[in-house]
Amino acid sequence: MADTLFLILSVLTVATALLVVLNKNAVNAAMFLLLSLVGLAGLFVLLDAPLLAFVLILVYAGAVVALFLFIIMLLDTTPGSFKAFTPLTIAAALTGAAVLGLGIWSLVNRAALPLAPGSVPVPALKQYAEQLFTTYLLPVQVVGFMLLVAMLGVIVLSRKHDATEDAP
Amino acid sequence: MIPLLATAPVYGLPSYLFVSALLFAIGFFGVLLRKNTLVIYMCLELMLLASTLALVAFSRFNGTLDGSVFVFFILTIAAAEVAVGLAIIVALFRQRHTVSVEELNQLKH
Amino acid sequence: MTMLQHAILVLLLPLASAAVIAFFLRKQGALASWISTATAAAIAAISIILLLHGERFEDSVEWLRFGDFSVSLGIKYDDLAALMLFIVGFVGFLIHVFSLGYMHDDAARARFFGGLSIFMFSMIGIVLADNLFMIFIFWELVGFSSWLLINHYHEKQSAADAAKKAFIVNRVGDFGFLLGIIWCYYGLGSVNLTELEKLTAGGAMPCSGWIPLLLFCGAVGKSAQMPLQVWLPDAMEGPTPVSALIHAATMVAAGIFMLCRINMLMLPEALNVITWIGTATALYAALCAIVQRDIKKVLAYSTLSQLGYMVAAFGLGSTGTYALIDLPVSTVATGVGAAMFHLTTHAFFKALLFLGSGSVIMGCHHEQDIFKMGGLRSRMPVTFFTFTIGVLAIIGLPGLAGFFSKDAILYLAYEKNFAVFAVLAFTAVLTAFYMVRVWKITFLGEARSQAAAHAQESGLSMTLPLVVLAGLSVAGGYSGVFGRLAGSVAHLVPEAEGSAHTTILVVSLAVMTLGAGAALFFYKSAATDTLEERFRFGFSWLTWLKESFDRAYDYYVAKVQQRFAMVLNFLEQIVLAGAIIRGLAGFVNLVGYGARALYTGSLHAYVFWFLLGAALLWAFAAGIL
Repeated sequence: MADTLFLILSVLTVATALLVVLNKNAVNAAMFLLLSLVGLAGLFVLLDAPLLAFVLILVYAGAVVALFLFIIMLLDTTPGSFKAFTPLTIAAALTGAAVLGLGIWSLVNRAALPLAPGSVPVPALKQYAEQLFTTYLLPVQVVGFMLLVAMLGVIVLSRKHDATEDAP
Repeated sequence: MIPLLATAPVYGLPSYLFVSALLFAIGFFGVLLRKNTLVIYMCLELMLLASTLALVAFSRFNGTLDGSVFVFFILTIAAAEVAVGLAIIVALFRQRHTVSVEELNQLKH
Repeated sequence: MTMLQHAILVLLLPLASAAVIAFFLRKQGALASWISTATAAAIAAISIILLLHGERFEDSVEWLRFGDFSVSLGIKYDDLAALMLFIVGFVGFLIHVFSLGYMHDDAARARFFGGLSIFMFSMIGIVLADNLFMIFIFWELVGFSSWLLINHYHEKQSAADAAKKAFIVNRVGDFGFLLGIIWCYYGLGSVNLTELEKLTAGGAMPCSGWIPLLLFCGAVGKSAQMPLQVWLPDAMEGPTPVSALIHAATMVAAGIFMLCRINMLMLPEALNVITWIGTATALYAALCAIVQRDIKKVLAYSTLSQLGYMVAAFGLGSTGTYALIDLPVSTVATGVGAAMFHLTTHAFFKALLFLGSGSVIMGCHHEQDIFKMGGLRSRMPVTFFTFTIGVLAIIGLPGLAGFFSKDAILYLAYEKNFAVFAVLAFTAVLTAFYMVRVWKITFLGEARSQAAAHAQESGLSMTLPLVVLAGLSVAGGYSGVFGRLAGSVAHLVPEAEGSAHTTILVVSLAVMTLGAGAALFFYKSAATDTLEERFRFGFSWLTWLKESFDRAYDYYVAKVQQRFAMVLNFLEQIVLAGAIIRGLAGFVNLVGYGARALYTGSLHAYVFWFLLGAALLWAFAAGIL
């Protein structure tokens, strides 16, 4: 059953991601991103990390994508178009594909990947908290500070300039 | 909750990693191909998501918690980054009245 | 205070004076002149104290060290240095006093006295030095002070050119000097004078005959021997006290002094060359002096001639005795005695003559052509009297200082090399001729110009040194005086005995009367240069002779050296400036252009580059690259 679930969820994630890229309308792209997030959350659940799945939906889908939607609708842009397929783009595409294939191949063939999952209990919030507040205490503090800075930055950046505006 | 992968699965770690890589590649091509800055930004987020998937997969299959904890950080940073980035884009829109990347090229030599 | 400290003080006092003048007293000419003169007085006093005290010492301190090679600075105060220090100090002091009067109205007085102080410092450094490197350092410093002082009237192009010429010609000589020093160090292992004496004692040969000749090159440059004598007549562009101090009494004598210092390195072949160069210079200069109109130029050529005498005396003195090891050392060093004796007396009477000419020039309102003077006997009596004594000394009137020293040289030549004796005797005739010519035309007869008609005797500051120097010119030759001054060096002066004594006496009297008589006869009227009128061909030949050296050097510089310099310049433009410097800059430019081309302003382009970089990194990490 896990396998079927995996198949469905992964197809969902990848297909909607593809649609994000391919859709001309920005709002549609945001919606498809949302669906992709749902699929990803499901994959997290499959990986025995339900807490993370919840957090993903809460933060990403609830806050980030919502923010995206606000901004898209605020800016009232015209429907976009695709960049023309110049030779450079094709070359870049091939390079990207090559990189991808290279990465996967090297990973699969050379890395000693643990294939069988052990019977690990599903981690609860308590274990996450333990880790966060002992081993990863410093990153937590730093991230808190960074959030403060981000807040300040956003406030400063979104101020309206009453004085003379620079010409574009 | 029931550990869903307690039984030996057909789709192991390589598959998850493959999905992650695929997501990453799609996000990357989105950055390359789209002209709307906001959509480019969304594809950036896709790439981040791909990396979180890889992290959680590794964390699960190695039996440790480090990868999952790291995902917390990634989520936080992604949120902050989106906030700041969108603020920049809005400010830029106020100046240039466009979000098309091709028209935002004043930094050329 | 020990005698060593006295010696160090006498070396550093003029340096301090020069520093004070250079840093603080650029505009206060009067104060600068007083400080410099006071310093000169102190130097003279200390040198007399050192001389009379009788202690002779030596000391040194290491200055630089590179592995095995070391340069040390030291003081070697022996009888030779004592004599030279006295001459430099005392004559220098008298010239300082003279300059107080002579340069009174000059605007750049401070610079002049600062230059004099630096000169005293450098000259005393040469006198007191105990090794060849130190001599070389102060040698160059003396050359610099000479340039500074010749260049005093630097607004005049001729003065600037003369200063440059002096320095460059000196440099040519110094190049040979430096080669000699390096060879000496390399071959003999030391340049310390006392050590060299020990190394070559007992007749041990220096390793090559070229060492003394190369070292002599320095003397050729500094003491203006042929072929580098061209700078000394032009150096008369400097003020007269400068000519008196530097180009008559002390600096040009430094070459002779240095030769006496390196006496132990001499070989018979080298001494032969030295003798003939000195003799040739003496003759050449005397011939050129006959046709000069400028009073200072006559004295300059006279200096050249007398320097030739000194060099010839030095070269003669040690000929032939080197091979005989069992002879006492004093016979080997005879040349030192005769040369230093003549150097001393020459310092006295030549300084006197130059200062006298300065007094005359000042009195005639800066007129230097002797044919525009005349009749100054009655108008400038003190100057006339002292100048006469100087002239009598130089032509060798018995009883005056010049007589004794010239006799010593003639005796030496008579004993060692008759050809040289004949040339030197003929030169003595010419010396008497041109000196009496100058004396007669300048002082006797009627005034030939307005300036001369209104000439007045100079002030006390100028006449007092003249009187003192006249006294020394009279008394300086007597063994009582010279022996006190020179100590053991006086023992090295050759004394004629018996029949040789009479012969030399007769010869010197004869040349003196012949030359003086001819001059008095030729220039009876002295309105114009009668020699020129009578012997036009000879006169023009002599003038050509004087200019021949300068013409040859000009040709060399213009045709040979200049063309070579242009080739080098071309190479430098193409290779260094073009290929290397501009090439490197161009390369960096290209890299800059390349880097700039990446700034397209398009986000997608940047992402492409990012992808490429990531791909390369991944390939590298995967081990493929």
